[in-house]
Amino acid sequence: MDRKLERILPLVQKPARYIGGELNSVIKNKDEVDIRFAFCFPDSYEIGMSHLGMKILYSIANNREDTWCERVFAPWDDMEEQMRKNNIPLYALESGDPVKDFDIIGFTLQYELCYTNVLNMLDLAGLPVKARDRHSLSPIVMGGGPCVCNPEPIAEFFDLFSLGEGEEVNSEIMDLYKKHKKMGSTKEEFLIEAAKIEGVYVPSLYDITYNEDGTIKETKPLHGAPEKVTKRIIKDLDKVEYPENFVVPYIDVVHDRVTHEIFRGCIRGCRFCQAGFIYRPIREKNPDTINEQCKTLCKNTGYDEISLCSLSSSDYTKIEELLTKLLEWTGSEKVNIALPSLRVDNFSDELVKKLTGVRRSGLTFAPEAGTQRMRDVINKNVTEEELLETARIAFNNGYSAVKLYFMLGLPTETLEDVEGIGFLAKKVVDEFYMNPDKPKGKGCTVGISASSFVPKPFTPFQWEPQSTPEELETKQEHLKNNLPSKKISVSFHHIPTSFLEGVFARGDRRLGAVIEKAWEKGCKFDGWSEKFLFDTWMETFKELKVSPEFYANRRRDYEEVLPWDHLDFGVSKAFLMKESKKAYEAETTPHCRIKCAGCSANKLNGGKCDV
Amino acid sequence: MYDLRLFLSKKGRIKFVSHLDMFRMMQRTVRRADIPLWYTEGFNPHPYISFLLALSLGVESEGEPVDIRITGDMSPEEVKERLNKCLPEGLKVEAACVPFNKSGEITYGEYYCLFDKTEVSEAELYNALTSGELSCEKSGKQGKKKVIKTVNVSEHIKSFSLSDAGDDIKLYVVLPAGSTFNLNPIQLSSAISAFLGKEVIPVKVMRTALLTADMKKFS
Repeated sequence: MDRKLERILPLVQKPARYIGGELNSVIKNKDEVDIRFAFCFPDSYEIGMSHLGMKILYSIANNREDTWCERVFAPWDDMEEQMRKNNIPLYALESGDPVKDFDIIGFTLQYELCYTNVLNMLDLAGLPVKARDRHSLSPIVMGGGPCVCNPEPIAEFFDLFSLGEGEEVNSEIMDLYKKHKKMGSTKEEFLIEAAKIEGVYVPSLYDITYNEDGTIKETKPLHGAPEKVTKRIIKDLDKVEYPENFVVPYIDVVHDRVTHEIFRGCIRGCRFCQAGFIYRPIREKNPDTINEQCKTLCKNTGYDEISLCSLSSSDYTKIEELLTKLLEWTGSEKVNIALPSLRVDNFSDELVKKLTGVRRSGLTFAPEAGTQRMRDVINKNVTEEELLETARIAFNNGYSAVKLYFMLGLPTETLEDVEGIGFLAKKVVDEFYMNPDKPKGKGCTVGISASSFVPKPFTPFQWEPQSTPEELETKQEHLKNNLPSKKISVSFHHIPTSFLEGVFARGDRRLGAVIEKAWEKGCKFDGWSEKFLFDTWMETFKELKVSPEFYANRRRDYEEVLPWDHLDFGVSKAFLMKESKKAYEAETTPHCRIKCAGCSANKLNGGKCDV
Repeated sequence: MYDLRLFLSKKGRIKFVSHLDMFRMMQRTVRRADIPLWYTEGFNPHPYISFLLALSLGVESEGEPVDIRITGDMSPEEVKERLNKCLPEGLKVEAACVPFNKSGEITYGEYYCLFDKTEVSEAELYNALTSGELSCEKSGKQGKKKVIKTVNVSEHIKSFSLSDAGDDIKLYVVLPAGSTFNLNPIQLSSAISAFLGKEVIPVKVMRTALLTADMKKFS
C-alpha cells in the first residue's frame, strides 16, 4: 500500500472505503492485459457498492482475459481534501493505480444529481472535464445507465454513451478500442467507428441548432453517425452472463446482500414511471436459473440474505414456483429472502404466507395517488378496495406497520386529490382496528412518504410542466394539515432537489456550462441534502442566463423537437402521445398481459415479449 | 460441541477495517468455509463469534483471540485450514486451540510501533517515555454521560524498549489492555506529540500479543 495513502487514511471517516482488497475483488497482472477499465460510480462507496449493474458489468469485463476492470467511487469530502492536499490522484481500488492512466473510464449514471460528481472525479483524476480537451485516444470516457436516455446536459463531458443494457455492447466497444489502440488511431477515428455500433451514441457527432424561442430546431448527425441511436437489450436473460461472485464489502453498505434480478421491463405502464418504459420489452428469467445462481452467490459471498429485484416482483409469472424452490434450501442455510417492489393488486395470501417464513419487517406499498381519478390519470390501475384488501391480508398475517408511497405534483392534480392521500391512509388504519385478531396492546402505524413528481423523458408525461416549488410547498402543507388520524405520519421529499432533478432530466446541451460552473463553485454530492447548495445553483443559472424554469416548468408541444428525440428506447413517440391524451381523459390502459398496448418496444426483441 | 479459540492475524490494508465490520466479515467467512457453528437461539439467530478485545482502527496484529463454538466434531486443525482458504487478504488464523485463559484475564497488550526518523529521533522518544509527564485525553463514560478524562500515560507504561530499524525507530511497549482499562499506542503517541510539541504519528503499529496479569501470553 502506498505510504502516502497509509498516512492519510487514519485521518478520514470510514477508511475501509478506500483500501480495496475486499473478498472477490479481481486482481490481475497489468502487463498481461490490453485494456484497463475503470468502472466509476459517481457517488459514495456505500451507494455504489449496492448497485447490481456494476456487479454484473464488472464480472463480465473481468471474464475477458484481455481486460482488467476495477472499481472507483467518489471519495467523501474529508478524503478528497486529503487527496488534494497530498497530491494523490483518483485511483482505482483494485490496483491503486491512477485512473487517468486507464484505457476506458466508464461512469454509470443512475440519477441526475450525480452529474457534478462526475466532473469532480475527472478533475481528481487529473483529467480535463470536457471531452474536447482530452485529445489522446485514451482514456475514453463513457457513460451508461438510465440517465443516458437523455444525456444531453452532460454530453460535452463524455466521449460516448452506451444506451440500454450493457452486457454485450460494452464488450463490442472494448473490442473496437483494442483494435484502434493497436492501430494507433486518433480518438476521432475511434469515435466515428464506435458510432456504428448499435447502441453507441457519440455526442460530438451530432450538431444541435436552436430556434429563437430556445427550443431545438434540429439535431444533425455528422460523419455517418446514425439519425437515431437505438438502445441495446439482452434477448435471453437465461443465457447472458450473471456474476458468480460479488465483491463483498467490509463496511456496511446500503444493500449488503445477494441481489438477483428476476425479470426486466414492466407490464404496467404507469404513466409517470420512466423505468416502466425504458426497460421494455418484458423479459423473464427462468426460476431454475435464478435459484441456481442464488445458491452459487450465497456460497461464494457468505451472505445470508437474498433480495429478488425487479420493477414489480409480484408480476413475475413464476414467483410462487421460485419462492418454493428457494425456500427448499434457504431455511436450513439460515438465508433470508426479501421481496421488494410488491404491488397491492396481486399480493396474495399464498405469497405473504411464504414470506412470513422469513424474517419480517414492515410492508411498503405504492398507491402513488390518493383518489381513484388521480390513479386513473397516472394509469396506476390499483383500486382502493385492492389496497384495503392487501392491508387486511398483511394485518391478518401479523404486520402492524405499513408504509405508503405517494407523489405530489402529478398532472391535473387538485387539492382534493391531495386530501385523498390522508383519507386513504386513514382507511388503512381503520382496517387494522377492524381486524378481530389484531395483536393485543399493539397499535398500528401508517407512514406516508410523499415525493415530488418529476416528469421524465420517454414517459407519456414527458411534455408536462413540473409543478413549481411554490405549488409543491402548498400541496405539502395541505397534506400535512389535513391528516385525519394520529396513527399516520408523513414525510416529504426535499423540493429544491426535485426541481434540479427536473431541470436535468429534460435538459439540453446548454446546461453543460451550468453544471461545470456550479461544480467549480463547489457543488457536488447534490443528491445528499446536507451537501446540496441550492442557492449556488440558482446563482449559477442567473449568471449564465439560463432559465431552469424553461426546462422544468414549461409545457412542451407535441411537435417540439425534444433533446432526446434522436435516441430510441423502444417505446414509440406515437404511443407516448396516445397515452398522454388518455391521461387527460382519466382513461386507463390495461396492463400488457390483459392486452398489448402497442408500445413498439418488442421490435427490439424480434417482436417478442414475455407477457 | 466445543469452544475453540482462534488467533487471527490482521496485516496490511485490512487494518483499516473496524472492529464491528470484522465481526460481520467473520460471520460470512464462517458460512463460506462451511464450518458447523453454534447459532444463538434468540429472535435473530446468529453464529456465535466473539472477538475478545477490540483492535483500534489502523493497528495491525499478529494474533487476535476470537472465540467460536463448534457443533459436531470438526477438528481445530480442519477449522483453521478451512478458514484460511476463505479469509480475505491480510487475515490468517495463526493458531486454533481450546481456550486456556478466560477472556477477563487479558491485562496487557504488547505492541511495536515504527516511527519515521525524519519526524522524530530516538533520543526524543526516550526523553518522552522516561519523562514521567506523559498524559492524554481519553473519552469515557460517567453513568450515561460522555466525559473527557485526562489520563496519566506515563504511569501506565508497563515496559518499553527502543531500537534502530533502518529508516525507522522501533518502539516495543507493553500497555494495559482488557475489559477494565485500555491504553493503545495511538493514544501513547498523541501523549508523546503533546510532550514534544510536534505531531508524532507512528507509521506502523502492530499488536504482537495479549498478556495476562503475570505477563504470560494469553492463550
